[in-house]
Amino acid sequence: MLNSLLNPYYLQIGMFVLINAILGISIYLTLATGQLSLGNAGFMSIGAYSSALLTIKLGLPVYLAIPTGGMASVLIALIIGFPALRLNGLYLAIATLGFGEVVRVIFLNLKITNGALGISGIPSLNVLTGNVLSALGLGDGFGGLSLQQISNCAVLLILFVILVLLLFFTRRLGFSRVGRAFAAIKADETAAQAMGINTTYFKILAFILGAFIAGVAGGLSAHLTFYIGPKDFDYHRTVEIFIFAVFGGSNLVWGPILGALLLTLLPEFLRAASDYRMMIYGAILVAMMAFRPLGLISEETVRFWRTKLGRRSSK
Amino acid sequence: MKLFSEGHFLKGVAVIALSGMLLSVAGCGKTSSPTATAPVANQEAKIGVISFLSGGGAAYGEAIKQGLDMAKEELNAKNKIKINLLYEDSRGEKTDAINAANKLVNKDSVVGIIGPTLSGEMFAVGPIVNGAGVPIMGTSTTAEGITDIGEFVFRNALPESVAIPSAVKKAVDKYKLKTVALMYSNNNDFAVSGYKTFEKAVKDSGLQIVATETFADKDTDFSAQLTKIASLKPDAVMVSSLYQEAALVLKKARELGIKVPFVGGNGFNSPQLMKIAGTAAEGALVASPWFPAKDDANVKKFVEAYKAKYNKVPDQFAAQAYDALYIMSAALDKSGSATDRKKLRDSLAGIKDFQGVTGKFAFDAQRNPVMEATVLLVKDGQFTEFK
Repeated sequence: MLNSLLNPYYLQIGMFVLINAILGISIYLTLATGQLSLGNAGFMSIGAYSSALLTIKLGLPVYLAIPTGGMASVLIALIIGFPALRLNGLYLAIATLGFGEVVRVIFLNLKITNGALGISGIPSLNVLTGNVLSALGLGDGFGGLSLQQISNCAVLLILFVILVLLLFFTRRLGFSRVGRAFAAIKADETAAQAMGINTTYFKILAFILGAFIAGVAGGLSAHLTFYIGPKDFDYHRTVEIFIFAVFGGSNLVWGPILGALLLTLLPEFLRAASDYRMMIYGAILVAMMAFRPLGLISEETVRFWRTKLGRRSSK
Repeated sequence: MKLFSEGHFLKGVAVIALSGMLLSVAGCGKTSSPTATAPVANQEAKIGVISFLSGGGAAYGEAIKQGLDMAKEELNAKNKIKINLLYEDSRGEKTDAINAANKLVNKDSVVGIIGPTLSGEMFAVGPIVNGAGVPIMGTSTTAEGITDIGEFVFRNALPESVAIPSAVKKAVDKYKLKTVALMYSNNNDFAVSGYKTFEKAVKDSGLQIVATETFADKDTDFSAQLTKIASLKPDAVMVSSLYQEAALVLKKARELGIKVPFVGGNGFNSPQLMKIAGTAAEGALVASPWFPAKDDANVKKFVEAYKAKYNKVPDQFAAQAYDALYIMSAALDKSGSATDRKKLRDSLAGIKDFQGVTGKFAFDAQRNPVMEATVLLVKDGQFTEFK
């Protein structure tokens, strides 16, 4: 039973779910200040390429390369953040979408990124943890599980820990002065400014945090999929990340995470429908927008279940 | 406004984790039956297919599927080891291809995999499948370095590194070329890889490159590049791109009075080229492993049957997929097992003197195909053999 549950297929999907959930958090952070930034795929690609190149060309260990990739995204976010965040709403969305395309075209034309051919043979997290585990004497597996399963589980656990840490951080942030400032800016930017909140500072901060998390997620995904090419980070990717937030609900951090979970699992569940798979997927998205335009989880939902569950437990 | 107190944080994490687990368990219930090993008496080999079945490149995936389906029907009518094909769609996306491969390898327990369609997908899928010890064979993955992934990775797609030099060599011999101009689409991995091969082949033949011009996929205006090339008067122009751009390049070039031969990469190898470029396509050269009008009994039979079934002439993707399944099946017969992946790999690696519709076929030590390309010339709106 355990053995079939820990099938590498499920574990792999689990990894994609967690990566997408991390991306969901990254877009949630910018949305928390009411900024519609669609540069996440761009930041993701900067993280992915930096991390892949650092490990391949310079031999940097993966656990250093991934955060460095995140920092590279932060650097770029700082440079483009100041001019971009003078814009609002749709204008910002278009500017950041453009930024993502610019990054993609740059990677497409650079020699070091191997242009359209992309980078293959990226050191894989699975293999690396596998090596560590076999050095620990688990080379032949453990308790009926193969080495591959154990190392996949280990990677899954690492990703889960990263996600939980990010979640914890985001939740703490929400209750801090910074989080209150974010919420104030989201509610009304002019009013927030009148109350003495340095809106530029907080908007840039949210932008940079989002960029860092997207960069880290990009690095993680590069080291999980062996290969990256410019095509992996086009605007489809951005839209996909954005849909996590729209589908799950963007007011609470649980929304994008739930969105990422469901929308990553859905195409796999629908594999049985073969030809109709993407049609059903699309239909579900449309139905969702028609019946729950604010996303699956909103403050209302939480309040509703809280009172309902609260009443039941008091009986 | 405190919607989730700190105590609820962990609860939230737990709920999400639990629902994830429940969902995957639910998916798990269906799995147990197909993993059972096939009985020896009536052997059935499960072969997975990862293909680009929906999205922008679905035409390729569809042709591959038709070629495979036809080969399967013919093989199952006569062979002892019956073949069961399990199709998974990759949508041309890397992550989808990875999920598909993992499903086929771990859940469906296939003995081998045919696909995926794109080289980029193979770079992502190859290491996983290779690591799991499952033979995988690409039918359309032409990029350099595919089989370097590992010893379980095969391809029967004629790599451009074989096709392009043979086209260049034939053109040089026939037209006594001295100077050439190169053109390629720089945002397409396939075209860039083809360009690199062109460059090498041209240099190896001792030709002088007078100009290298680039464009991008979906470009429609090539006048700047071609005006420059026209002024340099090369003996031939080599183009590496997909057929859409190639056809428009040809059209514009003829308009500008460039009458020299054009040598193309695999992108030229499509009837669409003549459809779009019309008479401008005359004189274009391309090396192809597949030539439907070839004077060969095998080819004729295949084209007839394909026409009867799908009402069109099979293209290169269909032909290579058709051969791929025959090669797989020959290897399965030789290994004598419908489930042993290692045996299948070894007998695949030993395939030689295989006669398919794309010609005589063998794998070299690097598991790349050893086969001959036919150089085709567009003449009167048709591909004809260039001799």
